Amino acid sequence: MERFLDLWLQYGPLMLSGLVTTAWICTFASILGLVAGLLLACVGGTTIAPLRWAVRGYIEIMRGMPILILLFMLYYGGPGIGLRMEATTVGVVGLGFYSAAYFAEIFRSGFQSIPKGQIEAARMAGLSGLQIIRHVKLPQMLVLITPPTVNQIIILVKESAVLSIITVAELTKNTTEFVNETYAVIEPYLAAALLYWLLVEAVAQLGKYVERRVRF
Amino acid sequence: MATENTTPVIKIRNVTKEFGSFTALSGITLDINPSEVVCIIGPSGSGKSTLLRCMSFLEEYTSGEIEIEGRLLGYKKTAAGMVRDSERNIDDVRRNVGMVFQHFNLWPHMTTLDNVTLGLRLSKRIPDAKARDIGRDALARVGLGDFAGRYPAQLSGGQQQRVGIARALAMGPHVILFDEPTSALDPQLVGEVLDTMKKLAVAGITMVVVTHEMGFAAQVADRVVFMDRGRVVEQGKPSALFTEPQSARLREFLDTWRQRNNLFQTDQARLAAVGDRRTTEA
Repeated sequence: MERFLDLWLQYGPLMLSGLVTTAWICTFASILGLVAGLLLACVGGTTIAPLRWAVRGYIEIMRGMPILILLFMLYYGGPGIGLRMEATTVGVVGLGFYSAAYFAEIFRSGFQSIPKGQIEAARMAGLSGLQIIRHVKLPQMLVLITPPTVNQIIILVKESAVLSIITVAELTKNTTEFVNETYAVIEPYLAAALLYWLLVEAVAQLGKYVERRVRF
Repeated sequence: MATENTTPVIKIRNVTKEFGSFTALSGITLDINPSEVVCIIGPSGSGKSTLLRCMSFLEEYTSGEIEIEGRLLGYKKTAAGMVRDSERNIDDVRRNVGMVFQHFNLWPHMTTLDNVTLGLRLSKRIPDAKARDIGRDALARVGLGDFAGRYPAQLSGGQQQRVGIARALAMGPHVILFDEPTSALDPQLVGEVLDTMKKLAVAGITMVVVTHEMGFAAQVADRVVFMDRGRVVEQGKPSALFTEPQSARLREFLDTWRQRNNLFQTDQARLAAVGDRRTTEA
């Protein structure tokens, strides 16, 4: 029993630091993904065909590739083309640009949900394309896209576990270290599962709060 | 009616519109003069809404020219021919054109007042307080002065359409285009919208109204334009057009309309209507 306590006292902080790393990587990756996704959706909605194709291509490539392959290419292949990044940076950038494709699709469906007549009315009121997005489309589509967006962020949190493979000291990596050094298996992984669940629950609660705020 | 040296608010010359292989407008020429109320009537699919949408460039016309107060709308002339204009220029040319839609097209996430002032604030860059004053005036003009804080969903269809009219009005347009403004309303609510429009007509606002409301056209229009199959078949003062239609097509159209109305009238009214038709055909 004493040994058990010792173990947790020794490895508990390691897991908590992993949790913190996972949390902030996911936060930055989500922000990056949301901003990039919104840009992609806006550019994808223009009348300029080559830009639309480029966005389409980006989304197809990202959706058609496992995140791990993207991370390998960035982390191991990056230095070959002058992209030298720390593992955590690769994690943020990789997860961010990967999820951007999914966020872009969510935004696109949101944009499309606004009736055409409302856009025409805005045109006749003299609003520019950007003003229409900002004042007519976004406020209305937020209600609609918040649930799928929250869902996508939750998926991102859980997918961040693969960052352990490219040596990022996040929750899964640190838990595995715990396991490897102590041969305790079930308990550390159960603890990790619980911590992931807490993180996911926090995202879900944040989502519920946003949902209440964007309703009109 | 216009004299020869007034500049039309809208000048349409030989305008065509094709949707793929379908020709919606085949060579429309029409002038809308200052303070004139023009009603466009005609069967469904005759191209009247399409023409109205071309006047606001919500629909790109295929050939011909439309000028708003002397400025070409939607295109610019180059050595290589007509080229689509930039969005900014299009916005500028039509900034004095207001539009009222069949389905109101209010923005449901904004209050009535915000609906009416959005264009003032964002496009005309009028400060908030001033915009609110203008917006309240516009709402008062359509009889909705007390509804500034309501959301569209809290209003009846007729009230929503009046907000739509106030929204167009607030921008201080030189002409307002009405695209079947009462077609989406149940019969009880049509009256309040038509009354509002009558007031604007009396106030001298230039209006183009695509409508199925013959009564309104007869009472309020300075000129009625009858369209069929993408052409202007006949036009003139309502008194002349409704009593002495020149073309067989318009006669047929008016007959159908009268017959349909007869279904709902008393025997006496029906007799009167039949009499009316006889004098028409005589």
